[in-house]
Amino acid sequence: MSDTHPDQTIALQASGIASVQPVARRQPIIPGTKDDGTLSEDPTLRAPLVLGDRSFSEVTDIVCGYAEAPMPKIWLTAFTIAASVAGIANVMILYLIITGVGVWGLNNQVDWAWDITNFVFWIGIGHAGTLISAILCLLKQNWRTAVNRAAEAMTIFAVICAGIFPGIHVGRAWMAWFLAPVPNSNGIWPNFRSPLLWDVFAVSTYATVSLLFWYMGMIPDVATLRDRATLRLHKGVSRGFKMPMPLGDGLALGFMPKPDQIRVLAYGVMALGWRFSSRHWHRYEKAYLMLAGISTPLVLSVHSIVSFDFATSVIPGWHTTIFPPYFVAGAVFGGFAMVLWLLIPLRLFLPNFSDLLTLRHLENMSKIILLTGTMVGFAYSMEFFMAWYGANEYEFAVFANNRVNPAKAPYWWAYWTMIICNVGFPQVFWFRKMRQNPLVIWIVASAVTVGMWFERFVIIVTSIHRAFLPGEWHMFFPTWVDILTFVGSCGIFMTLFLLFLKFLPIFALSELKIVMPQSHTDDHH
Amino acid sequence: MSQIAANKPAPDITGMQEADWQARLDKIASDPRMNEDNTTISAASVRKAAMLMLIIGAVGILVTLIGAVSINFRHALGAFEVGVFTALAISLGSLFWILVFHSLNASWPITLRRQFENIASTIWVPVIMIVIVALIEVTQGGVLLTWLDRSGGYNHLLDVKAPYLNAPFFMVRILIYAMIWIGISHILLKWSRKSDETGDRTLGRKARFLSGAGIPLFALSTAFASFDFLMSLDYRFFSTMWGVYYFASCGLASLSAVAIVATLLRKAGKLDGLVTEEHFHDLGKLIFAFVVFWAYISFSQYFLIWYSNIPEETMWYISRQQHGWQWLFVTMTIGHFALPFLLLIWRKTKRTTMLLCGMGIYLLVMVVLDMVWIIRPMVYLNTTATDPGLAGIWLDIAGVVGVLGIFGGVVALKIPKSPLLPLKDPMLHECLHHKNYV
Repeated sequence: MSDTHPDQTIALQASGIASVQPVARRQPIIPGTKDDGTLSEDPTLRAPLVLGDRSFSEVTDIVCGYAEAPMPKIWLTAFTIAASVAGIANVMILYLIITGVGVWGLNNQVDWAWDITNFVFWIGIGHAGTLISAILCLLKQNWRTAVNRAAEAMTIFAVICAGIFPGIHVGRAWMAWFLAPVPNSNGIWPNFRSPLLWDVFAVSTYATVSLLFWYMGMIPDVATLRDRATLRLHKGVSRGFKMPMPLGDGLALGFMPKPDQIRVLAYGVMALGWRFSSRHWHRYEKAYLMLAGISTPLVLSVHSIVSFDFATSVIPGWHTTIFPPYFVAGAVFGGFAMVLWLLIPLRLFLPNFSDLLTLRHLENMSKIILLTGTMVGFAYSMEFFMAWYGANEYEFAVFANNRVNPAKAPYWWAYWTMIICNVGFPQVFWFRKMRQNPLVIWIVASAVTVGMWFERFVIIVTSIHRAFLPGEWHMFFPTWVDILTFVGSCGIFMTLFLLFLKFLPIFALSELKIVMPQSHTDDHH
Repeated sequence: MSQIAANKPAPDITGMQEADWQARLDKIASDPRMNEDNTTISAASVRKAAMLMLIIGAVGILVTLIGAVSINFRHALGAFEVGVFTALAISLGSLFWILVFHSLNASWPITLRRQFENIASTIWVPVIMIVIVALIEVTQGGVLLTWLDRSGGYNHLLDVKAPYLNAPFFMVRILIYAMIWIGISHILLKWSRKSDETGDRTLGRKARFLSGAGIPLFALSTAFASFDFLMSLDYRFFSTMWGVYYFASCGLASLSAVAIVATLLRKAGKLDGLVTEEHFHDLGKLIFAFVVFWAYISFSQYFLIWYSNIPEETMWYISRQQHGWQWLFVTMTIGHFALPFLLLIWRKTKRTTMLLCGMGIYLLVMVVLDMVWIIRPMVYLNTTATDPGLAGIWLDIAGVVGVLGIFGGVVALKIPKSPLLPLKDPMLHECLHHKNYV
């Protein structure tokens, strides 16, 4: 290296020709333990947030490397599967639109089932991103820097998945624009007193602000990617375009523009002329804080309004006053579970990822899972207690006869799945060893994700499948279209997330650097 | 090597070395802000204020007692309860904040934490008072808690609720709440004081451990206590939100109280440079957050009941909105939410000691009014007695001032008993350099 010009070294490093990833970890896991150096319980110390004694430029190399160097092979496999599953969703939606909602298992009694379950499930998943980027920012929780970008991306993708269902469940999808109050010649307006309309406003506001927040936060990092690509082009170390597919892998395609040329263009447009001037940074910080302030009420309002969809009604099992905060806690719970579920495997597959997402980060998020899981458990117990205490026999019957009692409730398995997954599983996090074991965390996160889907299913279906007259009692059975639409929405989510991993900066670079020790040379300690 | 390992309490291999810890303690001790005059307050200098509050409190209680005999026993008990549940909210909220600070390993509130601890461990005062209330209720066969009176014969609701709403279980529950609240708050204060002397940093870890376990206990005990005394004032009424609703007042009242106490200490020339505008700023942010949280919770509860319009729930609001209490509804909407929201969003309010203290006093009045909103309309509902008007208002004021005077006096007597901040807290060095930057 010594005989190369420093610029050339940087360019080679940045190009993915030389090793992009600084591989050697100078601070390996403490011998004889599973501690990566962040797990100290000594109350006098703060755990390091970036491991390996990295310099700023190494962190830049690591993070930009994910978007510049080829992804590991498993990414392509995962992407192929996810994209195919996403394709199924499109086929199912098309089938639904040309045939009608009759292709789902809905009936006269259970007129909301998997569609709204999926909607609430996905919109809930999104909440972790906003919580991490807004509320944890205001609370100055520095560890959020390792996960905020990925969680915000996940928020956007989850909201996209959520947005599908209200649009298609109305039956005549070409009339979906009636969801919004658009002036029309028939003078027909949506009911402004209906929580369903507020939902449209709440979710679209949420989507807009989350997107702005995510995008604005990404601008400096995208500019870094742009500048690195420009540098490589100038230094002549840019690679040519090669076939990325399993078939003909590595085949050079001379007629294609170089990837770096595409990068300069795409990232250049996205970076909005960002030049890293201190004036830019100043405005960026201000805007970030303001967006954090605007997003904070949104964390609460969106799922509160979703809960109004149910709680403003007089249906036993739906009408209960704790729904708004209970839904919010559940959404954060489910969202964090999804963040962990997505990010823990990346520690295995992406080089140096575990230096930026340390065991301490996982432990902190496990604690949030424990906290929000217990809050959800508190809400379950309040609901159950009040269903009895309120002495309304119909309310109590929804719990006892529709949910809890296996002898009477056909959906008892759904209720108990929910309880075990949401209240039971997280309790293992009372034990330190469990919070520090990525495999255990991943299993709990999977259970919670399942449990949170079942929570919405239990709330929706078990409450309405038996009305006041036994003649109106109907079970709900999902059809293959129901099932494949949901599975397909998972495919859409995963496809988008995998694309994000490949093409965008998956860590917030500047924020990551702020929490590194080098940024605190002025500290007195 | 093994001998050293046996002697020193190094928590784990990556932890701080004992020598470094001692060096940090020495450095903190040599900080000019940490001189004894700045970190302690003599008993003599608070005695006057404490005695004044206790005398006012005693007079208030006396007036309440006179009112109980001469005006209306129910009314006097109601006024007393308004005060008791405000004092309970202040101390319960302080307990909550200590649990949160420890579990989150938060460093910014460390210089304020001792005041939270003092207030939380004074919870025995409102606890004794709710025991007195409970004994009065049980022995009188239900004064305000009409469900204790089963002389009316068949009553479907009370029959169904009897396994929960009965006198023996009621008393047992109060005992459990008292044990949880007094137990946790005293252990945490004890450890905190102990670390002042020994500098044992493992206590910080123990406190974190207890706090984690304490949060669910706190949540359940607070929720059920609020059901027992406040929600069951009308045994027909039920709301799953109720526990959270009372908790919102707890969080807000305690932060307000600490803002007042911290300001008074600063005015007495104490904690100079230790509790700065930066700490007030963060305290103010939390106050702001809880103003909004209270509004969110009480709006959600009101709105869902109003929208669904089911008689068994709306009667709770109807009995408050159609019996001369409309003014309070408006006052709460504006005074408990809109006004403090607008004032606290202003940076200067949070960073100016006196302004935040003023907000604290104002918000405590609002918490009192919230308790009035919950308790007072029940006093004359379904009774033949009539509200005595102006005399009744004086009785209300006497009850609240009486309880809060005594509570404040006991807190004031407690403050000089230990240094004004945890002197050797493991994270104190961070707190001493706390900055908000934005």
